[in-house]
Amino acid sequence: MSNEEYWNPVLETLPREKLEKLQLKKFQEIFTWAYDRSKFYHKLYSDAGIEPGDIKSFEDIRRVPKIEKSMMRDIQGKDPFPYGDILCVPLEEVTDYRQTSGTTGQPVYQADTWQDWEFSTEAYAYALYAQGYRPGDRLFVPFGYNIFIAFWAYHYAGQKIGCEMIPGGVLNTEARILKMQELRATGMGATPTYVLGMAETARRMGINPPTDLQIRKITVAGEPGGSIPATRKRMEEAWGAKVYDQVGSTEIGHWGWECQHQSGLHVNEGFFLVEIIDVDTGECINEPGRRGKMVVTTFTRSAQPCIRFDVKDLIEWNSQLCDCGRTYRLLDGGIKGRADDITKVKGVLLSPTAIEEVVRAIPELSNEYLVVVTKKGDIDVITLKVEIVPEHAKDEAAVRTVLVDQLRVKTNLGYNIEFHEFGSLPRSMAKSRRFQDERPKQH
Amino acid sequence: MAEEYDIKALAEIIKSLRRDTEKLKEIGAGMPTVVKNADRILSNVKMLEINVNDVVKILGK
Repeated sequence: MSNEEYWNPVLETLPREKLEKLQLKKFQEIFTWAYDRSKFYHKLYSDAGIEPGDIKSFEDIRRVPKIEKSMMRDIQGKDPFPYGDILCVPLEEVTDYRQTSGTTGQPVYQADTWQDWEFSTEAYAYALYAQGYRPGDRLFVPFGYNIFIAFWAYHYAGQKIGCEMIPGGVLNTEARILKMQELRATGMGATPTYVLGMAETARRMGINPPTDLQIRKITVAGEPGGSIPATRKRMEEAWGAKVYDQVGSTEIGHWGWECQHQSGLHVNEGFFLVEIIDVDTGECINEPGRRGKMVVTTFTRSAQPCIRFDVKDLIEWNSQLCDCGRTYRLLDGGIKGRADDITKVKGVLLSPTAIEEVVRAIPELSNEYLVVVTKKGDIDVITLKVEIVPEHAKDEAAVRTVLVDQLRVKTNLGYNIEFHEFGSLPRSMAKSRRFQDERPKQH
Repeated sequence: MAEEYDIKALAEIIKSLRRDTEKLKEIGAGMPTVVKNADRILSNVKMLEINVNDVVKILGK
């Protein structure tokens, strides 16, 4: 493999035993940093009876208490305002405020120093470089540049690599498409939902993205679609472009990405420690093919460190290393869903990702769908709302049969299927919420 | 792949960049333009350190 494929040819190909030694050392450093500077972390670790000198192996790391979003929510709003005592630097050193999208509740505030922001950008640069972005690319960013992290780092990582960045900002979808066409943009970053929505809008405007636009690389993030084969196929066909998945979060940073080989998500193990934990037993999973929830540590985040953060995303290791030559491990199939989202319906565990796989594999259906779970008496009822594309309106009965069969195979559940007029289901410019559980809460 | 690059030499230069920039901050104290631009340089130096110097230490070079 040519060295020109790597942002850092030394770190990305480091032998596994060296890489693990590096991870242990970096964990010790960030643990000590947080223990010495943050009242929150100091108390958390003191209560657990763990001090910096106690961490000598990965087994010791497993004893370090995990943190989760709800703890962050409890901390914030207090002094040092608004971040609370998780903060490890004086407020005067904080240069950036951002917050989580609030998909799972009250948004979490994130403080960054300028160095932290450089780190976010650096981690994202690994992704974009691996995906083939180079100087000479002109990248369009159809994102609102606001308090959410979303594609901020895509912008600055592209700039760092040497690409020319076009901020799509507050333009509406039509204006963004016209600007992409006018400036002959060659790549973009957006959520899968918006990538598909933009293609739909472009076609309505009489613009066929594969032939009338020059977008050839798309990085998607924010939803699992980039690693769902049927959704990726739709995006690639709609744009005539290669689509690459990228994962990260406000609290962690940009910890994983696909390279040009599209073999799965690489974990940036030089910058992050990703552990997979068995949901039931709490045991650490190192073997491929066993799903568990992800716990992540960011090695270089000085203002608001992220140490053993229980993300609740479900992932599993791939048994193969990628042909690209990187020694960073791959996740099989990206994010498989969220532990929070996987809910019992009719006594069966249901993952919304499985429904997306079915819907997006049926070409007669539009990109949009909505799943609503209600209760009639004691019985759970799942309603799947879909749109049939106008040219296939006559095929509704056949599509219904395929849909019901495939959903039964993939999820082991029966559904009420509702066909809605094309274009009538809600469209989102960011993360979509396609799963609505309207059952009364159990107490 | 580490052997294809003189990462030890790179690490030495990065160390001197940190020393020089910290000196710049010290001498330029009271001149916000010097201090704040030096801070930004140090952030980039940190990125070089995590990409190069930390690896050099692990490789025992």
